[in-house]
Amino acid sequence: MADYAVRITRLNYSYPDGTKALEGIDLDVRAGERVALVGPSGAGKSTLLLHLNGVLSGAGTVRILGQAIEGGDLREIRKQVGMVFQDPNDQLFCPTVFEDVAFGPLNLEIPSEEIPKRVEKVLRDVGLEQSVRLRSSHHLSLGERKRAALAAVLVMEPSILALDEPTSNLDPRNRRHLIEVVGGLPATLLLATHDLEMALSLCPRLVVMDRGKIWADGNTRSLLSDAHLMEDHGLEVPLSLRTLGNVRGD
Amino acid sequence: MHIPDGFLSNRIAIGFDALSGTGLFLSARRLKLEASARLVPMMGVLAAFVFAAQMLNFPVLGGTSGHLVGGALLAILLGPVPAALTMATVIIAQALFLQDGGLIALGANIFNIGGITAFSGYAVFRLLWRSACSEKRLAFAAFSAGWISMMLSAAACSIELALSGAIPLRIGLPAMVGYHALIGIAEGGLTAGVLAFLARVRPDLIEAPRNAKLSGLEWAGALIFVAIPFLILALAGGSALPDPLEKLIESGSAMTAGASGVQALISTLRFSEYFWEFLVLVALIFFVFLGGRFLHGRKAHQ
Amino acid sequence: MKHSFIDRYSALDSPLHLLDARTKLVGFTVLIAAVLWIPPGKPFAFFAYFFLTAILMGISQIPLTYIAARTLVILPFVLLAGLALPWKTGAGFALFSTLLLRSSLCLLILILLTNTTRFVELLRGLRRMGCPAILVMNLGFLYRYLFVLTEEVMRMRQARDCRRVGRARAAAEMKLLGSMLGTLLLRSFERAERMYQAMLSRGSCGEFPILAPRRFTWRDPAFLAGLGFFIWVAGYLN
Repeated sequence: MADYAVRITRLNYSYPDGTKALEGIDLDVRAGERVALVGPSGAGKSTLLLHLNGVLSGAGTVRILGQAIEGGDLREIRKQVGMVFQDPNDQLFCPTVFEDVAFGPLNLEIPSEEIPKRVEKVLRDVGLEQSVRLRSSHHLSLGERKRAALAAVLVMEPSILALDEPTSNLDPRNRRHLIEVVGGLPATLLLATHDLEMALSLCPRLVVMDRGKIWADGNTRSLLSDAHLMEDHGLEVPLSLRTLGNVRGD
Repeated sequence: MHIPDGFLSNRIAIGFDALSGTGLFLSARRLKLEASARLVPMMGVLAAFVFAAQMLNFPVLGGTSGHLVGGALLAILLGPVPAALTMATVIIAQALFLQDGGLIALGANIFNIGGITAFSGYAVFRLLWRSACSEKRLAFAAFSAGWISMMLSAAACSIELALSGAIPLRIGLPAMVGYHALIGIAEGGLTAGVLAFLARVRPDLIEAPRNAKLSGLEWAGALIFVAIPFLILALAGGSALPDPLEKLIESGSAMTAGASGVQALISTLRFSEYFWEFLVLVALIFFVFLGGRFLHGRKAHQ
Repeated sequence: MKHSFIDRYSALDSPLHLLDARTKLVGFTVLIAAVLWIPPGKPFAFFAYFFLTAILMGISQIPLTYIAARTLVILPFVLLAGLALPWKTGAGFALFSTLLLRSSLCLLILILLTNTTRFVELLRGLRRMGCPAILVMNLGFLYRYLFVLTEEVMRMRQARDCRRVGRARAAAEMKLLGSMLGTLLLRSFERAERMYQAMLSRGSCGEFPILAPRRFTWRDPAFLAGLGFFIWVAGYLN
């Protein structure tokens, strides 16, 4: 039996005002796989990710580690699915970084003696100094905030990671560092991003979304080299893959 | 308008601490019961918004400067109870961050700047506005809500100070209410401006009144809310608890009385006298609020 | 917009700073209450409390100029009170001086409380003393998002100033300010919505868990005992 981390079947979702956000999404992700979700702005990537832990629920089925979200144990699901949002300010809402990172474990009722150790470890893993624990997140730079937000999710030890635009607005050094950190994680990875180079380096599998539907699902390198596909969906062939053959999509 | 410690007589300060404390406690319990987990981050962020907005000063008529208080605005958007709770948060933060307003006086400040502005602003708005009215009507209703809430708040403040003997009514009332009549124009104007903006961009935020019904439990809660502090005042008034400010007033009352008819209010601070002032003020707010709810309910059923 | 009005001096190392937040909350509130209950006609009690406060201020290492600047808040009320009094008579003067002494003393004590404690510690102390979770959460969010919001406000102001010269008429100014505030409000709503989603995603059911290590040292009961003793003695002063 193939073990699927995520199985999405015929998912449809419309916003409260009626606009269709997701149409007939079918997506299966095996445990340990790394999938990049690309597409133009407004394609529905973030909306799709929000369905993975039950924050949004549409028509259709979403199964996480074999368990359907509909009627399932949300707490357990949210323990297994770690979601990192695009703007770190939305996720760092506690007065200190320590409390932000400890927020998840406290909710999961992990014994309080264990928590400081976990926090220390995870801060080290993302490359933050221990001194940030007592500081408030508004004293951190954007790169540090992104790392802190990641730490706040990693500390719950999820088996599936959903990242929404992890490298947006980051300077080159921070970007490289974040890619390194994410690359070293063992979890199943779903990466929604505009950073096609990062998708290329981290994820063997690529899913192209546009206007709420999936248009392509396959090998990252071959899909990203397909100039027609890229241009049809508001993307372009990343620099590292450009050859004379695919520069102009004739 | 944030009263510092020391200007209110102890009885009044403690009385309002009890009133506001009970109110906050009951509101917190009620929000918890409704499992409005969604509302909580909303209130927190809006508290930050109000605090930040209050630091945006702008010149009013050349000399003075004013800022948006926000009680009426929040009440129109969230309903009076969450708005009052949010404003209470802001007022506590202002006392702790800026020492604006005293610690023992928190109860009175929360009542004036949180409770009165939220409830009266809400009541006035609901009285003057129905959904699907013109934009002009919306602006007028919002302006009135903002302006009247400020005036009532200032009036309450000056009455409390007068009853404490710190600042007699003949000085306090005109000064505070007059000043806030001016500042209130800005409050009304900004409330109207924000609501006009929202009406164009997100009309859904204004349409449905949240937590619209007053259940039986709420009625009971409201009665307790009002009754308990009066109970406390009744006990305190009858007891031999020393109140230094009052004793001072009494010892000097022979000299200060007689200046004008209004002076009679503070010439002798006997309990029975200010019991009625409290009652009148709270009843006034309540009736305006109830009247608004009643009329709105009538309209809704047609 | 600086964040310096919060926590500017609360990370110092004075003996007062080292006390647990709860000790300070209880101790200083009791001190304020004691001042408010000084019976009339006992000027020496006031002097005694001023003396104590001065000592505490000295211990706290907070700059005097900062404290002095903070005391200006009571000025409008003092002025109003002053206007009202019949200055010719002794009783009026007694009332005014009592008001002035009471309010300034209480204010100084409040300044001491809030500036020797990090806000985060204050919140923890409140929560552990039974303050409703919603209130403490709101205060925490307020503290956290104040800076995010003030940054947004500054940027909005700059953007506005880049696109015009001088000021418009009052009504137009009001409308513009209304739009700016409205935008800020909407962004706040949206941010709150996203925050809620982030909280859900980390397993929250709406309650705010607090992890607070015990921090009582010998200083805490010593401080409270000292205060209690002082207040008791001051009651006998005449």
